[in-house]
Formats: sequence, structure tokens, C-alpha cells
Amino acid sequence: MTFSVALLLILALGVVAWLTARGKAAAFATSARSHSRPGHHGWYVALWAGVPALIFLIAWSATVPGLVASETLSAPAAVQLPADPMERSAVMAEVRGIASGELAGGFHPVSEQLAPIYRSATTRFGWIGFGIAALLALGGGAYAWFRLTPSFRARTAVERVVMIALIAASLIAIITTIGIVFSLLFESLRFFAKVSPIEFLFGTTWSPQTAIRADQVGSSGAFGAVPLFWGTIFIGAIIAMIVAIPLGLMSAIYLTQYAPPTARKWLKPILEMLAGVPTVVYGYFAALTVAPALRSFAATVGIPGASSESALAAGLVMGIMIIPFVSSMADDSIAAVPQSMRDGSLAMGATTSETIRKVLVPAALPGVVGGVLLAVSRAIGETMIVVMAAGLAANLTANPFASVTTVTTQIVQLLTGDQEFDSAKTLAAFALGLVLFLVTLLLNIVALGVVKKYREAYD
Amino acid sequence: MTDPVATPQVPERRPTDWKGKVMQRRIANRYAAERRFHAMGLGAVLLSVGFLAFLLVTMIGNGASGFRRTEILVPVDFAHAAIRLDPASFRGPGREAALAAADFEGVLFESAQARFGGGVFKILSEGAWLTVRNKVADNPDILKGKADIWVPASSAIDRAAKSGTPDPELDRVRKITDVRTSFDVSFLVGADSTDPTMVGVWGAFKGSLLTMLVTLALAFPVGVLSALYLEEYAPRNRWTDLIEVSINNLAAVPSIIFGLLGLAVFLNVMSLPRSAPIVGGLTLALMTMPVIVIAGRNAIKAVPPSIRDAALGIGASRVQVVFHHVLPLALPGILTGTIIGMARALGETAPLLMIGMRAFVSAPPGGLTDPATVLPVQIFLWSDEVSKGFVEKTSAAIIVLLVFLMTMNGLAIYLRNRFERRW
Amino acid sequence: MNAQNFADAATDSTAGTERDIKMVARDVNVYYGPKQAIKGVSIEIPTDEVTAFIGPSGCGKSTFLRTLNRMNDTVSGARVEGDIRLDGENIYDSSMDVVQLRARVGMVFQKPNPFPKSIFENVAYGTRIHGLASSRGEMEQIVEQSLKRAGLWDEVKDRLNDSGTALSGGQQQRLCIARAIAVDPEVILMDEPCSALDPIATAKIEELIHELRGRYAIAIVTHNMQQAARVSQRTAFFHLGHLVEYGDTSEMFTNPREQRTKDYITGRYG
Repeated sequence: MTFSVALLLILALGVVAWLTARGKAAAFATSARSHSRPGHHGWYVALWAGVPALIFLIAWSATVPGLVASETLSAPAAVQLPADPMERSAVMAEVRGIASGELAGGFHPVSEQLAPIYRSATTRFGWIGFGIAALLALGGGAYAWFRLTPSFRARTAVERVVMIALIAASLIAIITTIGIVFSLLFESLRFFAKVSPIEFLFGTTWSPQTAIRADQVGSSGAFGAVPLFWGTIFIGAIIAMIVAIPLGLMSAIYLTQYAPPTARKWLKPILEMLAGVPTVVYGYFAALTVAPALRSFAATVGIPGASSESALAAGLVMGIMIIPFVSSMADDSIAAVPQSMRDGSLAMGATTSETIRKVLVPAALPGVVGGVLLAVSRAIGETMIVVMAAGLAANLTANPFASVTTVTTQIVQLLTGDQEFDSAKTLAAFALGLVLFLVTLLLNIVALGVVKKYREAYD
Repeated sequence: MTDPVATPQVPERRPTDWKGKVMQRRIANRYAAERRFHAMGLGAVLLSVGFLAFLLVTMIGNGASGFRRTEILVPVDFAHAAIRLDPASFRGPGREAALAAADFEGVLFESAQARFGGGVFKILSEGAWLTVRNKVADNPDILKGKADIWVPASSAIDRAAKSGTPDPELDRVRKITDVRTSFDVSFLVGADSTDPTMVGVWGAFKGSLLTMLVTLALAFPVGVLSALYLEEYAPRNRWTDLIEVSINNLAAVPSIIFGLLGLAVFLNVMSLPRSAPIVGGLTLALMTMPVIVIAGRNAIKAVPPSIRDAALGIGASRVQVVFHHVLPLALPGILTGTIIGMARALGETAPLLMIGMRAFVSAPPGGLTDPATVLPVQIFLWSDEVSKGFVEKTSAAIIVLLVFLMTMNGLAIYLRNRFERRW
Repeated sequence: MNAQNFADAATDSTAGTERDIKMVARDVNVYYGPKQAIKGVSIEIPTDEVTAFIGPSGCGKSTFLRTLNRMNDTVSGARVEGDIRLDGENIYDSSMDVVQLRARVGMVFQKPNPFPKSIFENVAYGTRIHGLASSRGEMEQIVEQSLKRAGLWDEVKDRLNDSGTALSGGQQQRLCIARAIAVDPEVILMDEPCSALDPIATAKIEELIHELRGRYAIAIVTHNMQQAARVSQRTAFFHLGHLVEYGDTSEMFTNPREQRTKDYITGRYG
């Protein structure tokens, strides 16, 4: 509550600072030729008034919950709190609920006693933060205000701030990458403390359910991820690619080499719509329409082990999803082959298809291969289709009508139950995530390298 | 090197007989191969487009009925019901509490029981009494007498009425009272429910809107600023390379990994609330940002250097050049990329499952920290429901989602065509 | 009207000795969409001589060259009117097979465009697609013969499996000529074949054109008048889509009939 008020106040102060400083600068700008425009002076003061206060406010709002909690816990009534951390946090949640007025009463009697303490601490710290923020805003604004002179280089100062903001924005990409690597690595290491990496990477039995109880954690065979890896490859890199590569490549060839311009103009966006359909829709389509059809087909033909959650259904639909991806990569690669190659071949009396098959596609092959690698990386990281259509049974089978499971399915499965964050089952999801991250990273780097080298060859 | 082009003794070659029979047959075969190849290409495109059409037709076929629902006219005799409700209590300050406490379910059950004889639960929706409650809330005076109220039918009756298949129960109801199937406003304004006849998409849709708001507010400025820095200012050094590699890889990292990051960092380290739009928005922002950066860089790259030179030449500072000239010219391209990135985020499901946005949320979220779900996750949750009535609702929700995505993509295409400039 | 009449008509229009005529073009108009690139051009390509097309850039000489083996078909929006005959057959007739036509009328482009394949495969490509070799031995013979005719054999005979793109620019262009020769064409069209080459490589190509003359009818587009004077016996001067003047090269360069030709040859414009 106080946070949003303080935020508004700071913004208002910033606007006031901008207007007044601009006015002041405009006044002296008429008398002497100043380095910076009045607007720059305005921004300079506004930034001084707003930025330090904002930074403080954000930092403060992050620390306040901790301060309030420790104050509440140090109250005399807190000795009645249960020792168990789980129960303790449940009570604290009740306290928060009562203090904010969301709950009428608590299940635990202590929470009723602690709630007023909690509420008053929240209010007090809120006001303290509010006060400091206001002081910072006023102080910063005043400091900047008195520095304004006709010779003051406000523009340089403002532009420095802009540059810092630009660099900070760029660093977020690195921070995100580091965040991904560290969070995956950290949780994975905790997992590997419980289950040996050898077992995880080379074991062929996957049944995480048996490891929920503490005495069974890390017991033999529960976390062998090979069936998951196989399922992922089977669906994403084999079945999906058998669908996507021919269709994607031939579509690209047709659209770039044969289609009349108007047909191309309409067909290409329609094809690209396939990539814009959300994966959850594909998943539903696979589960509702494709999987039952395949199952009854398998039953008619007499294929054993047909499951309604077949690898084929998931792989087929995933392949359809990947078509525009392969197609656009192939399109780019073929377009990058110089027109003179095509002319050279046609001028010798080759037909269009001979030119495509014997000159354009071989010449574009590195680019196409790079595109396919990217497509594989996308397919194995795809989640919703396999979650909804591929099933949970960790089978090592090459029967496309049987059910297999994938890395992403298991990550979702492991993390959406109600379990402690520290259990091996939960941590296994992070280990799987790490493997997935590393494999897709590797595929992407190799693919981008291949594509880049190929582009350079024709530049 | 400069030796003359000597023609060595070359044996004469017999001239090619282009008109010969063998050659003619060969040519015919080559043209046949050409036609086959052409047909294969066309076939591939048509097959791909056919898949899309099949998918859309399936969804529309299943989902169109999800926008309609069957209602049954039930005369409710408030005045003579065993459970008496006082109209006065539903006015004034105690109104909400009285509405919450009153046994509308009992009243409706009693009236329906009297009308249909038995099997009321097979005929009326579990949530039918909510309609009665809303009627009373609108006009408490109906409690003084009898009122004919259209209440939603049960899922079984609903399906029978829509499909037109003969159903004894439905026929029986039809003989007793009126049954109608009409456009279901509550599907568009309601939230999740356990009963397929009572569900609505607005709750999930509002969750999506709030989440997208957070995503846009974070990803757009950060993405644009990064793109500007990398394209206009960044010196060529190891740091810049690192940033570039990071961005390119983030754009290709599977979305579920972002979910794991959100779970580990936003929920476990920063203790932000589970299932909240703010966490979903943060997670999706990290995912969308690289898309915006890449699109932004391409748009900025397309602005010709001559414009920068012209501005620098009249004494503009580098910041002024970028913010006064380059950015406005690149903006259409950046916006197009942003819309496409946002459309992708709007359709994203997996990372949001990781941060707990799969909770059952029966009321639309009020703010950024309230428990919420989003449209794709709602679709996923409904698709998991056993009750057959959810099939049409899931497909209907898919139609809503697709309509929005197509609108966004259409807007992006429009922007691209309208503002794209060839230099 | 039969082919002979065309040939006669074309021949009549130019003063000179009787020639064996390979190709005849009569009243050719070429349009790119609404724009007319070639306006009523009539010309003949003699069998045993080199014909040079000269003119300022954008005058349509390359466009006209590309109509002779229907390469303009590959440009969308291009339309050709008029009558072009190869040995009396109308090449734009529906009975004319464009694949065979292009095999009989080979083409060499401005920029060397070897395929990213081995030298051997580059030369063998056309032979393979047209099925001109019945055995591996015959194929090797054709490749060797074509490379020898193109004057490239001695330079590449030990590395036929190297990539064609690894050769120098001049070698690449001779490889492209070898590639065209391998299909056993009757006419070779050259579209500024030396414009991307250095003087030494240019000299070799010019020498090669000399060698090839007599075996193939050759039409060459060039923006270099000295080159036209050096390699050709007949010269056609194009300007703004019109054929301004056509005649013996020696006569054209010493005594042009048209003022525009004179201005161009003497370097007034172009």
C-alpha cells in the first residue's frame, strides 16, 4: 500500500523536478549560450530526484518482509510457535493473512496474537521506507537543482545515465543465462549427491515414484534416464523429423522455385501459421484426434502393444508443428545460393527439378542441415505435445505405436505434484533440465556455426 | 603462366542426335520426372496446409457448440417453498452475507423435484442454483411469489440437446417444460468451475492479460535498450560477444527451461507468490526479451548509416542520433517483432506449469499477485478433465485463444506491410 | 513464310558476303512487365563467325542474348514477341523443347558460376543430365575433350576432383566454357565473359574464343569495344533497345554508317 503511494510520490516529484529545472534552465538559457538544452537540465534533476529513491524503494520492499518477520518472531508470543519449520511457516502464512484482512481468523491460536504485531511492524517499516525514499528524492533533486548553471554539462550527465541503462539492459541477457546455468547446476548437484550421475545417465529403469520415501532415496534403478532420452530422441529427432524434413523441404522448394508469386504470397503465411499455433493446441489435437485414430488403425492392422498415448501420435503432430520451421530454414538456405548457379544449370538445358536436385539442394545442404539441427533442438525441448499425447510409461521400445515418455514430460510430471522441494524426485527434474539445456545448447551452437559458415561461403 | 591456349589433338566427337528416338524418349522421361517433382512439392505444401485446415476444422467442429449452452425453464415457487427466504435480507448492508448464506440450492431442488418428479441432478447443472441466486440478487422481490427461471441443464442433457440424438431423459424434460439452447454469455464472462456447463474463459483470459502486461512492461524496454546498445554503441570485444551469444542461445532455449529458472529463482529464492501473474510475466519476459532484441537489431540494422551520418554531421550527440532518428525509424520493425514475441508468450504453457499456474482458480484474479491461470494452461487443465462436457469447452477456449493469436499476428503483418521501408 | 525467307531478308539488309546462317531473329520485342526492353530487333548469327553485341549499359544487348536460348523464360514478367529461328526452327514454337534448345545453344555468364562440385562433375553435369555418355569411359573422354578445347586440361588434369570453386577466376570461366562445350552445343552465347577477369585471364579467354570459332557459332556481349574489335567478325550496336547498326566488325569500327555508332565507338558516350 505504502509502496505504491511512495512510487507515485516519487514519480510526481520527478515530474515537478523536470518542470522546475527546465524552467530554471530556460531562464538562463536566454542570457547565455549554455552547453545543454533546458530539457537536458530538466532530465538531469528529474533523474537525481527519481532514480536513487526508486532504487532504495525496491531494495527496501525486498528487505521489509524479512525485517517484519524477524520482529514478529522476536515478540514474546512467538515462543508458542511450533518448532517444525513446515508448521511454523504455515502459521506465519496465517499471520500474514489475518494481518492483511484476507482471513477472518486463524487455525492456530498464536496467529491471532501475532497478527497485530505483524501488522504494526509492517506499517512502521512501511512508513520508515516511505520517509527515507521521500528524503532521498528531495535531497537528490535539491543537489542536482543547485548544480544547474549555464555552463553545467547536463546533457553529458544525462547521456551517461542513458548509456548505463543501455548496458544494464544488455547485461540482463547474460544474467539470465547465468541464472539458468546456476539454478540448473545447483539443484542438479544436490540431486547427484543423492543419485549417482552414472546411474542417472546410463541406468535403464525410470520409476521416480518409488523414491518418494526417505529410506528409498537413491535406491537402485529408480532414476535411470536412458528410457527418457530414448523417448525424446524417438519422438523429437526421429518420428517428427521423418514428417517435417520431407514436407518442410519440399514445401520450401515448391514455394521458392515453382509457385507463382500470388500463390507464394498466400501460401507462405498460411504455412507459417502452423508455427503460430500454440503447442497446447497441438497437444490437444494429438490427444483428442490423432492418437485414437492411430490406435484404432494399429488395432485393425494388428500391431501389438498399441497404446492410446503412442510415440507416433506425439511425433507426427510435433513434425507438423516443425514443418514451417524446416521450411523457412530451407527457404533461406536455397535463397542464399546465388542466382547464377541456377542460371548456369538452366542454361545447360537442365530442367527445374534437375537444377534443384543436383545443384541448388547440394549447394544449400549445409544450411539445410543446420536448419534441421535447430529443428531437432526445438523438437526435443517441446513440452506440451508430449505431455498431452506421449504418456508417462518409461519404455525402451522402437514400436511407434507403443507409449514412450520424454525428458520434458517427466520434468512436468515431477514438478507438478505436491512434494517437498528437496526430494530427489523434484531435484531429478532439474537434472533432466540440465541435460536438456546442454543438449539443445550444443545443437544450437553447432547449427548456428554451420549456417554461419555456409552464409559466409556465398557472401 | 601466359602460355598460349594450345588446342591439343582432340578426337572428334560424333554430333549429338537431338531428334533421335532414344533422345526423345529420354526427354519425355525427364519431363515426367519434372512433373512428378513439381507435384511432390505442391503435394507437400497442400498436405501441410491441409493439416492446418484439418486442425482448425476439428477445433471449430468440436468447439462451436461450446459457445452455446442448454437451459431449462424451471418455475421456482419461492412463496411456498419449505425454505423461506426473506426479500428484505437481500437488500442493504447485509446483502452479500445473506446471499452467501441462503440455501438457493435447496429452493431450486425443491421446485425442480416438484416439477420433474425425480432425477433432478441428472437434469440440471450442479451450478444451476447460481443462476437463481443471481436472479434474486438482481430483484429480491421475486421471492414474494413464483418465478420462471432459465437454468443451465446438466452436461448430459446439454450434449443430447446439441447433438440432436434421441435421449429419453431429454424427451421427458421437453414434455414437462421448455428447453432452449442459446449463446452462452457466461462462457465469455465466467471463470473455471468443476462443472463443464458453468465454466468460462474470462478468468483465465484476465490472467493472460495481466501476465502479458508484466511481460510487455519488462521485455519491451529491456529488449529495445539491449538492441540499441548492441547495434549502436557496443564496442567489439569479448563482453559484447558474450552478450550476443547469450541472446542467441536464450532465443533457442526450450521454454520449459525458463520455467525451471522461474521456479528456482522467483519462487524458491525470491519467495514471490506461486501461481501469480507477476511471476508468470517475469518468466515469460525473460523468454520474450531475446526475440525482441533480435527483431530490434534487425530493424535497427536496416536503418541506413547515411541517416546517422547526417545527424552526427549537424552536431547531434550519439544519444540524440539514436533516440531522435534511428529509434523512430526502426520502431515499426521493433513493434512487429514485439507483437510476434508477445503472441508466442501468450500461447506458452510449459513454463507456467512449472511456476504453479495450473491451480484451480474459480474467480478472475484481481491483481498481479493473486493466484491466476492463463488461457493455454486453462486449455491444458480442461483437456485433462474426464467429464465429456469439457471437450467442447476446451475446443471453444482454443478457438478464443487462436482468434487472439491470429489478431496479433495479423496486426504484426499489417504493421510490417504498412510501415516497412525499403532503403 | 519459311526460314529461308527470313534468312534472306536478314542477309539482304546487311551488305556483305553470303554467309552460312545459324540463327535468325526477326522483329524481336521483349517486355519486362510494361517496360519494353528490346524494340524490333532483327539480326542473324552466322555459323562460323563470332558476332559481338556492343552498346552502352542498359541498351538491351544482354537481354537480347538471353532471348536466344530462352533464358528470359526464367524471369517472371518477361515476354518475348517476334520470331527467332535456330536452323529454321522457331525456338519459341510450342513444339520446340526448351531443354534441348538450351543444350544446343549454350551460355557462358558474366561472372564465372561453377557449381560447388568437383571440376570433373562440373563438366560432366550437362552430359549426365542429357544422357550423352553411355559409359564411364565415354564420360571421361568427353570431360577430357571439353577441358582440352577450353584450354584448361593441362592446368587441372591432376586435380579433377578438386572443387570447381577453388580455381582462379579465369580458370573458373574457362571451366564454365568447358561445361558448355561438353553438351555439344551448336551456338555458344557469352554474356560479357571477361568483365570479372583480369587482363591476363581476359587474353586467354579471347584466345580461346578464337580457337572455338569455326566449330561453334558464337555470340558475345561485351562493353569493351577493343574486345569486340579483337574477337568478332560481325558487330551489332544496340542503343536503348534498338539495333542501331549491324555489319562487319572491320567496317563498323572504321566506317560506321550511323552517327550514334560513331559517337559510341569514339567514346562520346556509353
